[in-house]
Amino acid sequence: MLTFLALTSVVLLGIVPEQSQAIAIYTGWERHALVGSDIRLSCSFFSWRWTSEDVTFSWTYRPDGSRDSISIFHYTGGAAYVDNKGPFRDRLEFVGNPGRRDGSILLKNLELNDNGTFTCDAKNPPDIVGRPSSVRLLVFEKVPIQAGVITGAIIGVVLGLLVLIVVIYYLMRFLVARRVFSLSVSKHGKKKKEGSQQRQGPVPPADPSKIKV
Amino acid sequence: MLMLAAIVVLHITTIILLLVAAIDNAWWVDNSVSADLWGRWDFSNNVWHYTNLKGYPEDYLQAVQATSVLACVFTILALFVFVAQLFTLPKGMRFTFTGILQIIACLCIMTGASIYTAKLHVNDTSGGYGHCYILAWISFVLTFILALTYFILRKKKE
Repeated sequence: MLTFLALTSVVLLGIVPEQSQAIAIYTGWERHALVGSDIRLSCSFFSWRWTSEDVTFSWTYRPDGSRDSISIFHYTGGAAYVDNKGPFRDRLEFVGNPGRRDGSILLKNLELNDNGTFTCDAKNPPDIVGRPSSVRLLVFEKVPIQAGVITGAIIGVVLGLLVLIVVIYYLMRFLVARRVFSLSVSKHGKKKKEGSQQRQGPVPPADPSKIKV
Repeated sequence: MLMLAAIVVLHITTIILLLVAAIDNAWWVDNSVSADLWGRWDFSNNVWHYTNLKGYPEDYLQAVQATSVLACVFTILALFVFVAQLFTLPKGMRFTFTGILQIIACLCIMTGASIYTAKLHVNDTSGGYGHCYILAWISFVLTFILALTYFILRKKKE
């Protein structure tokens, strides 16, 4: 048994480092925002290794309908470099915590031209093999009403009210009936008790010869 | 006995009309177009194509959708409650619960059809109201009559 455990642990230790070389990067899938507002694009990663001091984060942006990506943010060697020439100059801020594996950026004062795909790539040396993750940004002038939200809300509220009213109605009837019933029972019970107390006085003692075993 | 059968038949007819009005996409028709409440049918190249509704005031459209569905639900509930009350109601009593459900259904379809008339297709120059719209108003009248019947009707004392 012990040798079996030792063998499996050795095998696992042999297998796991092979898979642990892959770094897994997480961003959102899609983000919605209003024109003029700020949005925080989050990026974090999972790695079997400790967070190294040479951890790097980089964000690239590809506008909707374009095939080219432009690099807008890079964090390396403990310093963050934000876009100072491209579409996001003076609008980009680094709000992440590399020590906590967070490489999030803040986009301020969104415009309609900011619609596009933002890709985050993180590297945690020696864990460098991984797939960058993308988040799609959609900028609206007015918050659109999603299909069916109002419909569902109206139907749900009305049917819920109906169920509630029916339940309350039957509950009230049940409670009122119970109160009436318990009142009549207590009156009945008092009468019975008085009657039985009068009878308990002259009860004859039990005759032992009559008790059957 | 005959009256009971007539009321039940009328109620079932109302349910069917309401369901057709709510489900079939024919509140607004034009040449080769049949639209609302859920989608739009376009007839082109001898084939009917189904597309989403666009350019409508979303909140009003969804309110009409919700009230039509609620009208169907309440009128079907009213039928079940009526059948239940036929067996459980003490003699000489009125079918009030059924009547209440039916009047709520009447109010719902009236609200839906009114919102539709007032807020949707107000500025359209071509096209007209389709059979579902007409059925919706007919169902309003029928549900109203049925509700009154349930409020007045008494269970037979024998």
